Parts: sequence; C-alpha cells; structure tokens
Amino acid sequence: MVHRIIRTLGWTAALTGMVAAAGAADVKSLTKELFAVPSTTGNEEILAAKVRGLLPKNMAVEEAGLGTIAVRLAGPPGPTLILAALDGYGHMVGGITPEGYLTLDRPVPPPHARFDAFLLGQPVIVSTAKGPVQGVVSQPAIHLLTAERRRTQVEGFSLEIAYVDIGARSEKEARAKGVELLDPITYPAVLTELAGEQWAGPDLGLKAVAASLVSVAATLADRTGGDETVLVWSAQTKFAARGRGARPAVAAARAKAKWQPKRTIVVDVIAAGKGDGFPFPGGGPVLVQFKEGPSDLRKAFETAAAEAGASLQFLTAPDSPLSLPFEVPPAEVVTLALPVRFLNTPSEVVALKDLQALRDILERFLRAGGAR
Amino acid sequence: MTRPLVTGVLALLLSASSAGAQSKAWDILREIVLVPGVSGHEGPVSYFIQGRLPAGLKAERDAMNNVWFTVGSGRPHILFVAHSDELGWVVDKITPGGRVRVKPGGGILPQTVEARPVLIHTGRGEVAGIVSPRPGYDERPSQGETPEAPFTAEAFDIYLGVATEAEARALGVAEGDTITAKKTITDFAPGLMATRAVDDRAGCAALLDAALRLKPETVKGRTITFAWDVQEETGLFGASELAKTLKPDYVFAVDTFVSTDSPLESKRFGDLPVGKGAVIRAVDSSNVTPRTEILKVLAIAKKRMIPIQFGNSRGGNDGSVFLPGGAIDIPLSWPGSYAHSLIEKIDRRDLEALTDLILAVISDWK
Repeated sequence: MVHRIIRTLGWTAALTGMVAAAGAADVKSLTKELFAVPSTTGNEEILAAKVRGLLPKNMAVEEAGLGTIAVRLAGPPGPTLILAALDGYGHMVGGITPEGYLTLDRPVPPPHARFDAFLLGQPVIVSTAKGPVQGVVSQPAIHLLTAERRRTQVEGFSLEIAYVDIGARSEKEARAKGVELLDPITYPAVLTELAGEQWAGPDLGLKAVAASLVSVAATLADRTGGDETVLVWSAQTKFAARGRGARPAVAAARAKAKWQPKRTIVVDVIAAGKGDGFPFPGGGPVLVQFKEGPSDLRKAFETAAAEAGASLQFLTAPDSPLSLPFEVPPAEVVTLALPVRFLNTPSEVVALKDLQALRDILERFLRAGGAR
Repeated sequence: MTRPLVTGVLALLLSASSAGAQSKAWDILREIVLVPGVSGHEGPVSYFIQGRLPAGLKAERDAMNNVWFTVGSGRPHILFVAHSDELGWVVDKITPGGRVRVKPGGGILPQTVEARPVLIHTGRGEVAGIVSPRPGYDERPSQGETPEAPFTAEAFDIYLGVATEAEARALGVAEGDTITAKKTITDFAPGLMATRAVDDRAGCAALLDAALRLKPETVKGRTITFAWDVQEETGLFGASELAKTLKPDYVFAVDTFVSTDSPLESKRFGDLPVGKGAVIRAVDSSNVTPRTEILKVLAIAKKRMIPIQFGNSRGGNDGSVFLPGGAIDIPLSWPGSYAHSLIEKIDRRDLEALTDLILAVISDWK
C-alpha cells in the first residue's frame, strides 16, 4: 500500500503543470486532464486523486474502499446513485527477467480476444513509484522473420511472448528505475484529433465518462446537502465477483450494499459504429435498459435530453456486470452510455457532441431532481 | 580477430573514448525522424537536409530528390550514402463512406498499426486518421476450421472522422497522398530512444553531423562525396540513379544494422548489442565486405578510440548498387533493434561513434 501511495505522489508530480483550476466544468478540458492519467483495475488511485483535485473544494469527498470515491448532492429521497468507472482495461508487470525485460499479466480478463495482440511493437508506460517509465513491447525485426516466426510471434502474439523493453540490461537496472511487480502498464496518452469534432486515444471513453461526472459535480456543487444523490467514481468495475450464477462487478455489488439506492444510473461506454443494430457515434448517448418499455427513469431521461436539446439513443440489452446488482424491484437501474467507436482498442473514438450531450443530459436529470 | 578479444578491446575503447563530444547527431536525429518522407515523396526531408548543410558547400539535387555534395579531388573517391526515405503508405482510393484505402506494401508489420493513428500528408497539411481494427475484432473467435484472414495493408480502412467521400476530399485527402504512422518518441533514458524512421534518419543525421564537422584539410588529395538518396526501401532506386554518374572507389553505405539485441530474436547472428558502438555491417543480403577492408576500418577505429563492432545480418544497402561500377561497399551502421517498426531503438553513443567513424575514415582512409 505504501508503494501505491508513493506512486500516486510520483504521478502527481509528473502531472504538475497540467492540473486545471479545481472546479473547471468544461467537459472537454476535463477529459483531456483525465486522459493523461493511467488507470487500471487495482491501480485507480492516481486517477481518483486527479478527480478529487478537479472537484470543487467545497465538496466533501467520500471514500468507499478499494479506491472508490463519491460526492453527495441534494436530490429526491432514495438515494439516487450515479456510478461511473475509474478503472480501464490494461496490463501490469508480471515479472522481470534477468535481462531486464518486463513480462506482462492482466489484473482482469480482457474485454475481447484480440486485446493483448494490440500490444505488439507499441510504446507503453510503466507507472512506477518513481514516476512513469517509458518502454516498448518487443517485436521481431521484419528482416528476420521466417514464415514460422511470423505465424507464432506476429499472428500468434500473446502475453506468453510479450516483453516490455525499458532500456534496462538487468533486473537490477529495471528495479533501479523504480519498476516493481504489479506496476500498471498502459499505452501513452496520445490524443488524436480527427475531423468532425472527434477525438481518439487509449481508454478515452472511460476518461470521458469520468470527466462528464466531474463536470456535472462541479456545476451542481452548490446543491450539496440533502445527501440524496451520490456521484460515484468506482474502482474495480472490471473485476467480477466470484460465485455461482451471474457474476456482478465487485464494485457494483459493494455500491449496492453501501448506498442501497432506489434508482441507479450506470454511466458507461458502449461499442458504436459497428453497423445495423449498434448505436451510432454522434447520435447521442445511449440509454440501455434490461427490459423494453416505459419506466420512470427512461421518462426522466427523455425529458432531460429534450431540455438539453440533445439526442438520445435507446437499446434493450442484457444486464451488464455493472448494472446487475441494482436490478432488484422496486429499485430501478438504467445505463446511460457514451457511444465509442473502436471500443477497447488503443484508439477509442469519441464524438465530442456525444460527450457534451452525456454531460448535459446528466446535469438536466439531476437539476430536475431525477425520477421522483 | 576472435570475438572475446574484440569485445574486450571494444569495452576498453568505449570507456576511453571522448569522441562525440562535439556531435549534434542526436539532436538532428530527434528532429529529422519527425519529418515525413515516404519513398518517392522525400521532398520535405531532402529540403530539411539541404537546408542544414554548411553554407559553403555546393550541394546538388536531382529530380528524384537525391541530395549530394563533393569536396576535394583525386583518388580514391569515397562516397558516403544514407537514404532519406521512410516506410509508409500511399492513398489508393477513398470509399463512398469516406474511408481511405492504401496501396499494398508499407514494410511495417500491419498488425502494429491496427487501431493506431496515422497521418495523411495532403497538399493542405496533415490529416489524422485511425487504421480501423479488423472487422469483428471484439467478437469471440470462430471455432471453425477457417483460419482468420491475415491483416494486411490491403485491408486497411482508415477512418478520418467523416462519413462521405466528399467530406474526405474536403479535408484535402486525395489519391497519391502519403501516409505515415503517427510518431512518438520513447525515451528509455537520456541518450536511448525508440521511434519510427530511425531507419535511416539516423544515417542521415550521422552524415549531416559529419558534414557539419568536416574539416577541409582532412580530405587531403582525395574526393569525398556525401549523398542522401531516396527510394531505398522500395528498391534502391535513388542510389541506382546516383550510380549512373558517381563512380566511387569505396562506398560507405550508412544504414541500420538489424540487430538481434531484443528478446524475441534468435541470437544465431546479428547479436551486436545496442550501446556498444558503431557497426561494420560486414555481410548482409546485398553485399559481402572483404575481410581486408573490415580490418582497415577496425584499425582506424582503434587508432581513434572509437567503439566499434562488426557482424552479419539481413537487409540490403544502397552501396551495393555501386559494386558493378567497381566500388567496394563497406556499410557502416549502428546496432538497431526492432528494425522496420514503430519502435526502432537507438543509443546516442552508437550514433556518435558512427559519426566519429565517418570523420575518421575521411581522414585516415588509404
């Protein structure tokens, strides 16, 4: 734990100069701020610290264990829970070879089968107690590839043959850079601005969603007291609880137990732009319900979207691990999701129009008192 | 010379060397790697090079964008040549949906640019795009017998953020525009980095630095030509054009030594460590340097206390096209891990040793 606290300080120092004034409510600026901060399951403390630093000083930040933080606003009795993730999918240091290369593991299962393959030949950042360490994931030189090696090392690339080169020549040198087991390994936060007011980057969807909650919290900071609306930035949303049957995210199960919400809005990301049947980027946030049909929450969000002048897309889908624990009548849960093209790749694409709409709809929803 | 003895001598030389103190090659490299110059479209990078040559030199430039200058007169005529082109792609067509397709090729493992940003160099500036991940990338792999189709440049579907061909063209994108990976520099430590286009911008930087440090009196009755040629990656075309008029006795091609100093490579050959000095690329896919010439270079390096290694690896070099004209090709290099990738790795000490070696050869070659 000491290690993690130190790591937070190291990153905080590394990010000095990038911190905007607390309370800045512009969701695009906030997204850029959060985008720069690595966060993987079990290593959310740096991003949590960043969120905390961006919240208005008059807001009391509550800690809920595992790294989860929350703030409270006035609202209808319930309470109402608005929950977004702090953790993204990523990798961590699994070992250090005698030659100074790092081997990789994941804290949670990958979101899809090709997730690890994107690492081949890429720059990465190892977040250590001493600050960020730059490295690259080794690949074979193309001049030296035989057909067999192309099959096994390129087409068949997996974590079994993934090595991070940090320029060290021995385990001792690697450790001297500050690298320790479990240190998170993520892609560098390189933002690409595309035409049509769209941004692309690793873990951009997660950071954009977290930023939208920061923006809403900052805007509604004067509505503290009453303690009936809880805005949560949750750690460990990608880790499923153990046991038989449906496996909810650990974070969701804990949030349910702690706050006993009457209504829950999971603010999440959703794959978009994949053709018919999928949400489309630029079409507005997606309201995902377990069951089709009217509900108080759906009606409240439709009203909020109309007031915000924003589009809303609708989808009926099975419960996600994050919404699963809250689906117990009479409690209500919906997911309000940001459409993300190329979700869970190193270049997640977000339409800024959707991001702004997500933020505005949430604000309208909360200003109106939610679904009373 | 046996390998252990070489290693011992080299270690001593490395520690004793003070060469490179005046070199600006590293700073030049960090700048020049970012200048676009896909094969056949080297204009920006060749102008970069020409613009930084010493004012007194009369540099020439041909229609292909080869750039060169010659100093001195007499024999032997020694040519140093590095290639200024880099790997990349060319826009083939724009789809009705505003996506960009590229011509086959590229020279980089396509998998390493999947779901990655690229820059399209248009007549109106750079336009960013993302190479779409393969369709169904996030779906459960098929359990059937049909193997997954390989991800190739022909499969690239570059997303620009627009939805129609007209919108893409309005950005300035057109057939024939070049595309490079969006470059980032990974700094492992001061003086140790990885990025795209180290091959062969490091060679370009070494030659440029040597040109800036060249003292006319060291030429001493010989002819020295420095050339930055084009289209090496697509078939040594720039060098072939130069070979029509330049007839050197010796050609020192300055290009990457494909080192196996990385965890996925066999150490059967090419295992010259990064950080241990310049390289004589003695045997590659295009040239076998006579042993006598290798020993001459080693002797010069020893005399000048320049750390040096030699070995064999794969790949061709521009010097090879001068062989039929009577030249002896002695490729000089640095140990480069991860050749032809987004993460080509290079050590400042190796680059500066290479620059020092070029100057030493000019001064001492007989």
